Amino acid sequence: MSITLDQVTKRYQGVPVVNDVSVEIGEGEFFVLLGPSGSGKSTLLRAIAGLTGVNHGRIALHGRDVTHMSARDRGVGLVFQNYALFRHMTVADNIEFALRVRRMKRADRVARRKELLRLVALEGMDERLPAQLSGGQQQRVAVARALAHKPEVLLLDEPFGALDAKIREELRRTIRQVQRELGISTVLVTHDQEEAFAMADRIGVMNLGRLLEMGRPDELYTRPATRFVATFLGAANLLLGRQTKNGIHFGAPQAHLLNGSGRSHEVVAVLRPEEVELAPNRHTLGASYLAAGKVEEIVFTGALERLRVRLTKGSEEVQLARADSGDDAHLEVTRTQPEQRAFAVKVGQDVAVGIRRVHVLPTPLSSFTACAANETEVETLSKHPLLVELATRMKTRVTARVEPVLANGSKDCSSLDKHFSGAAVISSQPDSLKSIECLLTRGAEEVFVLPPNAASPQRVLIHWADEAARAATLAVSASLLRHVSAEAVYVDIKPETTPEADRPQGMRALLDARSEAQAVHGLEMRTELRFGDVTGELLRRLSESTDQLLILGVSQISGLAERFGSLLAAASRSPLLVVYREAEGQS
Amino acid sequence: MSAVGVLAKPLRQPSILPGFGLTLGFTTFFLSAIVLLPLAALVLMAAKLSWSEFFDVILDPRAIGSYRLSFGASLLAATINAVFGFVIAWTLVRYEFPGKRIIDALIDMPFALPTAVSGIALTTVFAQNGWVGQYLEPLGIKVAYTWIGVTVALTLIGMPFMVRTVQPALEEVQKDLEDAAETLGAGRFHIFRRIILPTVLPALLTGFALAFARGVGEYGSVIFISGNLPMKTEITPLLIVIKLEEFDYRGAAALGVVMLAISFVMLLAINLLQAWGRRRHTRSGR
Repeated sequence: MSITLDQVTKRYQGVPVVNDVSVEIGEGEFFVLLGPSGSGKSTLLRAIAGLTGVNHGRIALHGRDVTHMSARDRGVGLVFQNYALFRHMTVADNIEFALRVRRMKRADRVARRKELLRLVALEGMDERLPAQLSGGQQQRVAVARALAHKPEVLLLDEPFGALDAKIREELRRTIRQVQRELGISTVLVTHDQEEAFAMADRIGVMNLGRLLEMGRPDELYTRPATRFVATFLGAANLLLGRQTKNGIHFGAPQAHLLNGSGRSHEVVAVLRPEEVELAPNRHTLGASYLAAGKVEEIVFTGALERLRVRLTKGSEEVQLARADSGDDAHLEVTRTQPEQRAFAVKVGQDVAVGIRRVHVLPTPLSSFTACAANETEVETLSKHPLLVELATRMKTRVTARVEPVLANGSKDCSSLDKHFSGAAVISSQPDSLKSIECLLTRGAEEVFVLPPNAASPQRVLIHWADEAARAATLAVSASLLRHVSAEAVYVDIKPETTPEADRPQGMRALLDARSEAQAVHGLEMRTELRFGDVTGELLRRLSESTDQLLILGVSQISGLAERFGSLLAAASRSPLLVVYREAEGQS
Repeated sequence: MSAVGVLAKPLRQPSILPGFGLTLGFTTFFLSAIVLLPLAALVLMAAKLSWSEFFDVILDPRAIGSYRLSFGASLLAATINAVFGFVIAWTLVRYEFPGKRIIDALIDMPFALPTAVSGIALTTVFAQNGWVGQYLEPLGIKVAYTWIGVTVALTLIGMPFMVRTVQPALEEVQKDLEDAAETLGAGRFHIFRRIILPTVLPALLTGFALAFARGVGEYGSVIFISGNLPMKTEITPLLIVIKLEEFDYRGAAALGVVMLAISFVMLLAINLLQAWGRRRHTRSGR
């Protein structure tokens, strides 16, 4: 491995801008770090270069630990967005800068310079000043300069940002060519997905300081695991559907499905605009029918036609994860020239919408349902800042639902509607425990308890009561943590009476959990092993600061009160997410 | 100056201020009226002396002593400012700290303060029984009423010139340049020597020239702290004032001409140095 990052964390004023990033970049690989501005990608690149220290974690280049090594000793080549050429020096002097620092002999310097200039196709420009070159040429010089000292890795920080489209294309090709020729491991930082697709062997998508997903460009595009990657890499319509034994259903819950034996659960599906088919009516559709729609907007973009289709008939059944503009459900559609010729549409035309292919995200948190005893409470709860923030970041919706059962006093759960979309959300009250039990028995798989003034958490504590809840808890934690810039800490608590000899075993279980989280969900988490009473230890941890969120995994509802009663009652200051999955073999 | 016209290019490109002819005319007139004319008058006044009278005045040992002090102390003060003004500018440009704006505002104080006030203040502080003077006295260092005092006063007066010219130049040295140099393997000294200094050198020289010019012309602050001992702590401007008080206008003018000549030569030298530095950078880059 030529670049190894192990749990690298960088904080600015306590806020993690790079959050537990681990990645291994292979020999000669072209790795692209893709993310929106402020996602921490540039900070991570600077950390690799040694220009920024890290608070936690390890950085190794070709197996050599460089975490505490200064930039000048790391031997990396770095190219900046604004070229950062030394303006008072000629091209030759710029390129030879690193060689001069290393006191290389003049003849060798000149030879190396000529070779580099040939590589970036700037022969004969030796004596020019940067000011006499075009932007593209300047960036070529910067690349040559960064390669002069034969660095082990090449780091490119948005190198095409300041260039216009044509030059950009050309420079991309040059850089890729040079990189292949030298076989040098390269990390490119960009916010441009097209650029990432064009150049990368592998893409790592970053958001909120976290490396969300990594993979080959085509893999990431067709099978993203997270909403963020699905929507950031290309356009995507996110649909809410229900996964049942018989397949995925889009549309309102149908009674017969709910009465079926297994639980059906809500899923988020990615529908790419090019996977939508339009036809004059339902019967002429080649793909499976989704809904009826009306064409609202057509934009001609050359090779493709981009349409916005409002779902009319059946739109109350098809649920878009987020109807962002107003209440109407809009689908984004792109069509190729042959498709346009086969069925030409005009603005205002009614069409039948079919879907060729959807990809279901493995995320367990699909949407939120705010539950409270009356209208006003539901209203307040669904406007809770933290809930709104989460829903916005997850590009999902918050459904409001009045459940008189949840009022104080009446605790007959059987009247509760059994159907839940996504996680149930309740506000923290003295008797939240009752409500949690109630909701879980009636089919909710996650219950999110929100104190009235809870803010975005800085730390998420994860704990599961028994091994049966482990997989689900990890999955939910990973899903949530992709959308908040908090650090994840898995807290395992063993009884105080654990004999000294067995204690290392607890440590091993901890590390297993960590590697599972990393391997299955790409979630990096810190681990803590404590000895003592579970509720007591969690309470003590929670009391350390108020900006923490606790995710508690359980596989049994019975005994919840006995085991966690005091925790649920006392934890009213911090948000709490209870994850429940029936243990296997129970019914 | 290039204006890219979308429409057909007009014969004369419109500009915010009235045309070139008018502005150039005004510039010439203005310069003549307030710079060249008085200077010419000065030379004419001095020319009323015969050559021998002229040389008697300007080569008088007392006059030569005053040149030495005026130009020597100004050069020394400008040099001190080049170093410390650079440090101050660096601190202000590169770091964020509480009270930064106050310090930034304080830099301009010597501009605003009547120079006589600075002189009195400095004398109070550096006199033998002053706040600082009393501690320097036992060490055998006398500041007030010596050439050191003159230098201190001129340093104070020239400091804002240096800081204010170097500051914008330093802001131009992007952090990226240093980062780039660092990843290429350069150490701190190397980065300073090869990257930062060449970039700010022109500004540094300009600041030096301004501080020096201001020092040579300074009168108010120096006369309080220097003690004005002939041959020792008497600056040329003071000598001129003394001559004026004796109604020796021609003698005063003669000394003025000498100051004018020396200042002109020195500023010209600095300008040539700057031009040479620019050419050198554009040619070889080292």
